Amino acid sequence: MSSTTVISTPSAVLATFDRTTSRWGRLTMIAALVMSLAAPLYLVLFADLGITQTQVWIAFLAVAAVFSVLWVVEPITYYPILGPAAMYQAFMIGNIANKLLPSALVAQAAIGAKAGTKRGEFSALMAICGAAMVHVFFMLVFVGLLGSWLVTIVPADVTDVARLYIFPSIIGGVIVQLVVSLKQPRVTLIAIGTAGFVFFVLVPAIPTIANLATGITVVTTAVLAWFLRSKPRSDSTKEIS
Amino acid sequence: MIPPLPGDPGSTDILAIANLPILWILAVGVFAAIILQTVVYVRAARIAAPAAGISSAELKTSFRAGAVAAIGPSLAVVLVSVALLSLFGTPAVLVRVGLVGSAATETASASIAATTMGAALGDASYTQSVFAVAFMAMSLSGAMWMIATLVLTPLLRRGDSRLRSVNPALMAIIPAAALLGAFASLGIGELGKTPVHILTVLTSAAVMGTCLFLAHRFNVAWLREWGLGFSIVIGLFVAYTLHTTGLMSGA
Repeated sequence: MSSTTVISTPSAVLATFDRTTSRWGRLTMIAALVMSLAAPLYLVLFADLGITQTQVWIAFLAVAAVFSVLWVVEPITYYPILGPAAMYQAFMIGNIANKLLPSALVAQAAIGAKAGTKRGEFSALMAICGAAMVHVFFMLVFVGLLGSWLVTIVPADVTDVARLYIFPSIIGGVIVQLVVSLKQPRVTLIAIGTAGFVFFVLVPAIPTIANLATGITVVTTAVLAWFLRSKPRSDSTKEIS
Repeated sequence: MIPPLPGDPGSTDILAIANLPILWILAVGVFAAIILQTVVYVRAARIAAPAAGISSAELKTSFRAGAVAAIGPSLAVVLVSVALLSLFGTPAVLVRVGLVGSAATETASASIAATTMGAALGDASYTQSVFAVAFMAMSLSGAMWMIATLVLTPLLRRGDSRLRSVNPALMAIIPAAALLGAFASLGIGELGKTPVHILTVLTSAAVMGTCLFLAHRFNVAWLREWGLGFSIVIGLFVAYTLHTTGLMSGA
């Protein structure tokens, strides 16, 4: 924005805002993306760990089998709520549903701005900026600076147990949280049934697919959930008649 | 670190390679990118504020409200992150939980990646090699979220009708099914390990259930944010008690 601009209509100003936030949003996101990949790549390539490309690809494909749907669906889902500028913030910081969206809603309520208006968009953007700074500060200070110190003052046997059982102690809570927040009892039952079948019937029968168990469960659950969904009444009457 | 090749594929001393200075530098760089983005956005918003019909005082109020609302969830994320430090080391936790991921998706990815190498997180099979592959896999997965955002946002902005007209029923069911399927599978996988694992999963689930019930019943919003933190701490406490008192043979 140069001060020599004589006429700057609101729409021109907003267009400049869109251009600035899109350009810098993308640039900073790409920078974070490159640096976040460089860290593990350094270990894989230069730490002399004897890791083969095949091992990396197999691991990635196993993870992709589970999360690839969400990579695409989440940005599409949140776009109408966030708008273009905030998209680059939200998908850099993560914790969208539990941190950023509540922050945005609180801010809009605080100044009485409605979602979907320009005021609402700017309010949400600033709220996410505020949330981002709190996020960065807490992570750097309490995890980055104090985290390793906290770990050193904790007795070794506690750390050992934490390392061994951190995953089961996360997964139980996460499942309950998901089930409650998604409120999809039918899909929940399908998911548990499928997971149980894959784990207790399919994998013991064909042990070679053990690596793919979670991927198979995800795909099967998605397909079953789609075909067994409760159809709107108009659909079902059409089918009956 | 003077020797350029500090790794030892079979060693379970993860922190020896997880704390390399280069990883710290990259982790700090990622946070610098987030800070830079915020600074640019705040300045752009200040300039365009009048055109958007919002005053600079309202911008400030929004920023502060957002920051305050994020304190609770951020503390909860910190608690979870500290619990993950011995598994991944500080730089990896900062980058993985600090960027698009959450503790849940990242440990899920790591666990899936470790399984492909015939290993499990945190036990004797969790070597430096397994850690590096798991870290790579989680980072690639996180990168895909960002790549999808970089590709889709401009398309959605142009109002791409094909994307906009995605069947809403599909959008409601498929993500929920994918998430529930993934975590149900991982949860049942843990049940197949030792009795300590089973009781830890059940404790964590029960704590979360209690937190959500109390949050709903008595309208305490912060309990919802802290649910996962409490689940992990109490889950680990139960695991510790069972594991060390030898009431049950652990892993």
